Amino acid sequence: MSTFRATARRAGSWLPLLGLSALAGTLSLLALPVVLGNTVDAIVSNADSLRWLALAAALIGVGVAADLIDAYAGAACVAGTTAWLRDRLVGHVLAVGPHGGRRLDTGDLVSRVSGNAAEAAQAGPSVVAVVAAVLPPVGSLVLLALIDLWLAVAFLAGLVLVAVILRVFTRQTAEVVSAYLRAQGRIAGRLSESLAGVRTIAAAGTVELEERRVLEHLPELHRQGVRSWRVLSRSSAQAAVVGPLVLVAVLATGGVALSAGRISPGELFAASQYAVIGAGLGGLTGMFGRLARSKAGAARVGEVLDLDPVRHGGRTLPEGTGRLEFRGVTVRAGDVPLLDGVDLVVPGGSTVAVVGPSGAGKSVLTAVAARLCDPDEGTVLLDGVPLDELCHEALRTAVGCAFDRPVLVGATVADAIGSRWSPEQVEAAARATYSHDFVSRLPHRYATPLTDAPMSGGELQRLGLARAWRAERLLVLDDATSSLDTVTEMRIGQTLIGDGGRTRLVVTHRASTAARADLVVWLAGGRVRAVGTHEQLRDEPDYREVFG
Amino acid sequence: MRRELRVAARSLRRRPLLALVAASVPEALPAAVSGLVVARAVDQGFLAGAPGTGLAWLGVLLVTAAVGAVGTRAVFHRLGDLTEPFRDDLVRRVVGGALRNGVAGRADQGALARLTRQVEIVRDTYAGLLVAVRGFVVTAIGVLVGLLSIAPSVALLILPPFLLGLVAFLATLGFAANRQRASVLADERLADVAQAVLRGTRDVVATGRERHASGMVAEAVAEQAAAERALAGVAALRTACFVIGGWGPLLVLLFAGPWLAGQGLTAGAILGGLTYVLFGLQPALQNFVGVVGGSGLRFVVTLGRLLDASAPPPDTRAGHGVPAGHDVELRGVTFAYGPHAEPVVHDLSLTVSPGEHLAVVGPSGIGKSTLAALMCGLVRPDEGTVRHGGLPADAVSPAARVLIPQEAYVFAGTCWANLTYLSPDATTGQVDDAVEALGATALLTRLGGYSANVRPAELSAGERQLFALVRAYLAAAPLVVLDEATCHLDPIAERTVEEAFARRGGTLVVIAHRVSSALRADRILVLDGTEGTVGDHTTLVASSALYRDLVGHWVAGRPQDIVVS
Repeated sequence: MSTFRATARRAGSWLPLLGLSALAGTLSLLALPVVLGNTVDAIVSNADSLRWLALAAALIGVGVAADLIDAYAGAACVAGTTAWLRDRLVGHVLAVGPHGGRRLDTGDLVSRVSGNAAEAAQAGPSVVAVVAAVLPPVGSLVLLALIDLWLAVAFLAGLVLVAVILRVFTRQTAEVVSAYLRAQGRIAGRLSESLAGVRTIAAAGTVELEERRVLEHLPELHRQGVRSWRVLSRSSAQAAVVGPLVLVAVLATGGVALSAGRISPGELFAASQYAVIGAGLGGLTGMFGRLARSKAGAARVGEVLDLDPVRHGGRTLPEGTGRLEFRGVTVRAGDVPLLDGVDLVVPGGSTVAVVGPSGAGKSVLTAVAARLCDPDEGTVLLDGVPLDELCHEALRTAVGCAFDRPVLVGATVADAIGSRWSPEQVEAAARATYSHDFVSRLPHRYATPLTDAPMSGGELQRLGLARAWRAERLLVLDDATSSLDTVTEMRIGQTLIGDGGRTRLVVTHRASTAARADLVVWLAGGRVRAVGTHEQLRDEPDYREVFG
Repeated sequence: MRRELRVAARSLRRRPLLALVAASVPEALPAAVSGLVVARAVDQGFLAGAPGTGLAWLGVLLVTAAVGAVGTRAVFHRLGDLTEPFRDDLVRRVVGGALRNGVAGRADQGALARLTRQVEIVRDTYAGLLVAVRGFVVTAIGVLVGLLSIAPSVALLILPPFLLGLVAFLATLGFAANRQRASVLADERLADVAQAVLRGTRDVVATGRERHASGMVAEAVAEQAAAERALAGVAALRTACFVIGGWGPLLVLLFAGPWLAGQGLTAGAILGGLTYVLFGLQPALQNFVGVVGGSGLRFVVTLGRLLDASAPPPDTRAGHGVPAGHDVELRGVTFAYGPHAEPVVHDLSLTVSPGEHLAVVGPSGIGKSTLAALMCGLVRPDEGTVRHGGLPADAVSPAARVLIPQEAYVFAGTCWANLTYLSPDATTGQVDDAVEALGATALLTRLGGYSANVRPAELSAGERQLFALVRAYLAAAPLVVLDEATCHLDPIAERTVEEAFARRGGTLVVIAHRVSSALRADRILVLDGTEGTVGDHTTLVASSALYRDLVGHWVAGRPQDIVVS
């Protein structure tokens, strides 16, 4: 089922209510002029007007109730459906994982969650709205014809005239708007530059100079802005001339019919109202626009929901020390192999360095080892169990992963390190990765919101390590200490080596790290070129080349 | 809401406003005469057996529409005279606020969005409000005058319910603005949280915390939905106010109809009255309620956030003092980034003599940049004093020192403008010498000489640093602080630069990125979290374990490979 239909169905019990209220509102809107006309006739002719009055009041009541239901129920329905779609989207993106969704960048995904989901949620109400919006103009045209055929003809003629005149002036505005946006873009570009150099500006005391530089194009923006109002003034004036045309056409035709005795004063009054309601035909394009936006939004949401999520098995790990085995592992990007038939056994409890030139497949190897993506062919086994047969809980307590550029997720620093850990566990992991000192200098230490804790690349890397520190069987470090100073890197490296009982797979560009490892896996072109100790490999010129 | 209305009211300069009001008078004409025309057309024309007269009256309607259109044109013409100065003022506020807050160390991520989106929202809604409020007032007065001219009794009947609805609507605005603000904030929070979580998809999956992460978003989603529902309540309330003010007069008029007819009111007069209500008052009120309740609230909320975010910090004026010497003296300096935070710099005392070359080393995140900021008076110590030539560092004129940070500032403009940013009076010879001394000649040649334009994005990080370094070299300042300002240069280029600065004279403080650059200094300050140790290479090997650690690696490798920050 398409996302649009699924979303429309989700609106569920709200839709009949919205539909009924729209129908009732439309009918009362259409009936009201006739009833009001009859009321007027009754008043003028001194007949009993009370019956018509009561009917008019009742119709107004129904219309008001329909408006209220539409205002409240419509919004509540959309709010609920939007929330449902958003939760599904986020849950699904996380279930698909980084590699399934890699074609979509973050900004794009955020726009789907915050923007498109809300548009898509209009699915149900917008279908109702389109149907409800067609009825009044069409109905009033029919009713005009029923009062007097010539009224309908005059109405249609007036409408055509208005459409032709209004058509002409949409073009001019586009050019003015783009000149305005260009001037605005220049100011924004300069501001962005200055903000990037704000430390220099602070030290040099050149704020006023910068302010003048940024605002240099403000007079141009002003000029274009004034121009845009001039264009708008022309189009608004045209609209003001042609606006009353339809009404006058109907009134004139109706007036002639009145004096000929074909219609009553009340009917003339009703006709003038139908002319106004009928002119709402222009609003229809807006309704169709809303429907189209909703369909487009649903399509964008659907693109994400159609991605296949990663499936986990139900097994847990047997006793073991983290023996990692790659069996014929191939990973492709399109037709290009990133890893090509890798067979490799990493002994449990050892530290293995992964080295190779960029593009050799180091990061893909670690991604497969941590099951951040699944190989296209072959299997990865941890202590004899294929990773894809492990249950989610078992996989993630066994395997930890740290990255070159970690992204911290959580409300506070402590939350980002370990949302389910005790404060003692959080601090222990931070101490092990030499993060405790700088966390202590943050305004609220571990409780500092991430948004208030600007961090350098090295600090981020250390928290990224802390987060993965409790992995029980396998710790995968993908260039995860590249931004650290030499001393800190050394200290963390020593802690890592001294902390036995699990396997460590370390991607590195530094010879010193490779020298400390038990074993070095040398990758080239997606294949294992050699496996051995750093001592054994370093006589090869190509191998030394890897470290620059 | 009061502050925003005050700002808006102050922006209404008298002359353009009077011109706008004057232009509104013809614009109100069609609404003012519509009922009268219908009444006359029916009574004297169509019902009196003189359809020609009726048609002539309707012709009057078209003529007034044309007059009204002239008014409309003039109104929009004048609109620019009010909105554009107001927008200019907002742009100035946003730019000034963003720069000043940035300079005060409060990084501001939203400034560009404020400049391009929020300012435009405020501009459009401001114009919309001007048009709608003015149009409403003028139409209401026109209708009233028209009604009085047909039948004063009808006007008296219509006015009370109309005013009641209007006042009720105005009374809800404060409450509605709060809900609107809550909704905008919930929207932004949702986008922020979704961004934070989705950006970290890989990390969330790697740590197995999918449920925790989607829970974070779900919380924001639920809050946003609740805010939307609360807004729906506001919309319903608005509808109710319109019912009173828009439909109330009609019902009153109809119920009073038989009595009015008994008083001798003609069919035309009753039709005219109804026309005024249905085609004058009702649409005017509907438009007013819609624009004020929609754009008006958006205006108040967006303007409020814009004013909050653009408020400049209390004191960002640079000092003006001229220091008596080029020495820098720190006495018992302690600095922390918050009352609950451990100090970044703790009880540090240090004197840098005039003309001395000091290097600062220590692990990343230890507070070296903070020390540079303290020396240049960009932040004030919580305890102790920082003096530059005898003056408190924050009272010293910026002209007396140069700080070049790691992220070099190059702006779109000519090479010349960039190089002489701190020394506008420099001669070509001086600039030539500086470029030559720092090894930037090849770069300048490649870019096409001093008059060529640079695009910062097309320079590498190292090239941008060269620009900033030439600029610092040219400045007359006797104190130069290089905060890892050479970290993107290769070791040889770094050496050229540092030796040039040493020859240049003046006091030089270098936050070192590599051990090799520390070894070139007269003295070295080692920061290792709890204390700072100063000395030359020989004494530090004896006194600092951290320094021994650093040098230990150096013995094993090349000094330029040892990264110390």
